[in-house]
Amino acid sequence: MATRLLVLEDDDGLRASLRLLLEGDGYEVAEAADAERALELVHAAPVHLMLVDLMLGGMDGFSFIRRVRPTTEAPIVVISARDGVEDIVSALEAGADDYVTKPFDVQEVRARLRALLRRPVLVAGEPAGGHSSDGAPRDDEVFVLDQEDGPLVFNRGAAQLSRGQHEIHLTMTEYRLLSVMAENSGLVLSRSSLLEHVWEEGFFGDERIVDVHVRRLRKKLERDPSAPRTLVTVRGLGYRLDTR
Amino acid sequence: MTLVFASGALALSASLSLGTYFSARHLLVEQRERTALRQAFTDAALVRDRLLTPGSEGSEVLGSIAPATGAVMYLHRGDTWYSSSLDRPRQDVTDVVVRTVDAGSAGLAWTDLTDPHAIVVGVPLPAVGASYYEVSVAEELAATLRTLAWALVVCAALTTAGGALLGRAASRRVLQPLGAVAGAAVQVSAGDLKTRLDETSDPDLAVLVGAFNHMVDALHERIERDARFAADVSHELRTPLTTLTTSLGVLQGVPDLSAGASSAVQLMATELARFRRALEDLLILGRLDAGAGEGETVTVGARELVRQALQASRRPPNLLSTGEGTHEPPVDPLLDVDRRQLLRALINLFQNADLHGGGLTGVAVDAVDDHVEIRVRDEGPGVPAQDRERIFERFARAGGAKEGTGSGLGLSIVARTAANHGGDVWCSDVHDRGGAEFVLRLPRSGASGTAG
Repeated sequence: MATRLLVLEDDDGLRASLRLLLEGDGYEVAEAADAERALELVHAAPVHLMLVDLMLGGMDGFSFIRRVRPTTEAPIVVISARDGVEDIVSALEAGADDYVTKPFDVQEVRARLRALLRRPVLVAGEPAGGHSSDGAPRDDEVFVLDQEDGPLVFNRGAAQLSRGQHEIHLTMTEYRLLSVMAENSGLVLSRSSLLEHVWEEGFFGDERIVDVHVRRLRKKLERDPSAPRTLVTVRGLGYRLDTR
Repeated sequence: MTLVFASGALALSASLSLGTYFSARHLLVEQRERTALRQAFTDAALVRDRLLTPGSEGSEVLGSIAPATGAVMYLHRGDTWYSSSLDRPRQDVTDVVVRTVDAGSAGLAWTDLTDPHAIVVGVPLPAVGASYYEVSVAEELAATLRTLAWALVVCAALTTAGGALLGRAASRRVLQPLGAVAGAAVQVSAGDLKTRLDETSDPDLAVLVGAFNHMVDALHERIERDARFAADVSHELRTPLTTLTTSLGVLQGVPDLSAGASSAVQLMATELARFRRALEDLLILGRLDAGAGEGETVTVGARELVRQALQASRRPPNLLSTGEGTHEPPVDPLLDVDRRQLLRALINLFQNADLHGGGLTGVAVDAVDDHVEIRVRDEGPGVPAQDRERIFERFARAGGAKEGTGSGLGLSIVARTAANHGGDVWCSDVHDRGGAEFVLRLPRSGASGTAG
């Protein structure tokens, strides 16, 4: 089955050129000029990734992301002419996985799409790696983050976070952030260091983007995200993952 | 202005003083002469009456009359001169008076043979065949005139000093607002368009203050309008430009393009990339001109910032100089910066070195007093001295720069970023190795740390 992408863009020219480009890359593309139509398309057939403009007639891109995020795990890439940090943070807070500013470099967008689509959790039924030859997960790929109230286990190789039998969904960025922090558990990682290691593509955005993703990750790791005990803030220095 | 007022006061007071002195002197002299004449005529009448007495001698007559204070009487009868004073010779009597009296008229003249000067009055006494002379020393007149002169000199000096003080006060009143205007103009020219002059109740100054503030308002509005226009235009161009680049991406993916079509597509790609860079840089400059921050101000080590800029632009980290002749980890002076803006500025300097300087050869960080200097070096031909300021202007290129390699805005962005952080940027030569050195100078944060 071809990977199905949704392009939500109200500019006819850009939407058409994106469709041509993505179809040329082998994707199946569904187009929508407004958020309402995009919601219909998402509900009609599974979508593997969404490209979403923010400034739309009617429902705007932020509202669309907030509406669609609880219904799908598909990565959402914002494509917008707005390049303020506040816009980027708001979009990520709403549930977007990546943010690309117009005018963008086609090769860069292609690379980002490929990276997001390589997300292990989307490869249904097949582990992404980290298993030994007998199929058991390798010890160095499994991190027990918390023992209270059922173990909170992060299997990096399988890209799985679970508490007991309950599996917790991670976005690609959350997965990479947790991987870096788990590898360095007990050590303080600065925001700039996390920016370098998690956002690899020469991204030098604002460090508040790290904070946004840490907050999102805490909602999945912590019982009380407002009083974190696993992913803690070290005032003035950065963040540290404490396993107990 | 103080000097003008003082000079004016001096000239005026000197004129008034001289006028007063000479008028008073004329009046007093005239009065003194009248008194002398009256006294001389009275005394002459007495002398004549006594001489009419038979057997009377000139010396007896003069001895019988008490002269006025300071006056000496002389009688000339026949060939003999008589005097009321033994120690005052006849020479006091001036010849001009003698000749007048000899001609039969009363005469009066001043003589400088005495100190102070004296009035000589001569009265012919034909009834007794004699002439009477009276010499009065004008001691009280000289004293009065001396006192008057000193009083006038003191008055003139006080008037001059008063004029100088008045001039100073007036010049302050006039020049103080001008100083404020000049200071405000300097601030405006330095880019502080929020500068305004305080309102004043002085109707003369209110016009100046109003005109100046109106001018700055108009200037501010115009600059904002221009910046807004540039930003609006740039923003509106984003989506169509994205459509063009995306469509070009489609064309580039088409197999079996003819050689001509392939070249055309390549040309379009080059020009679109250049257009995109210019557009992005225009938008960045618009934000910098508006003074808008792009992120929160963070405290970061200058070396760490350079390391991140090298990494973000995929350049080897060993381009950052580690300091010579020491094994200690180099001290990393701290900066308070908008990280995103500073990284962009550093990367612009690196790109400039690559595009125009034959390649980036090294970056050094030096703490100099309360500033940090980040030195970006290349191995190119250097920048001619006459172009070293101009290259930081928008769309400016140094003489030998290649066309079409950059947006023409990269160094302007660096300069604006430095200015927004209270710093500066300039270009110089690397004397020992050739090439150019761009120095980004930023104010240092309060504390300093060590590179980790």
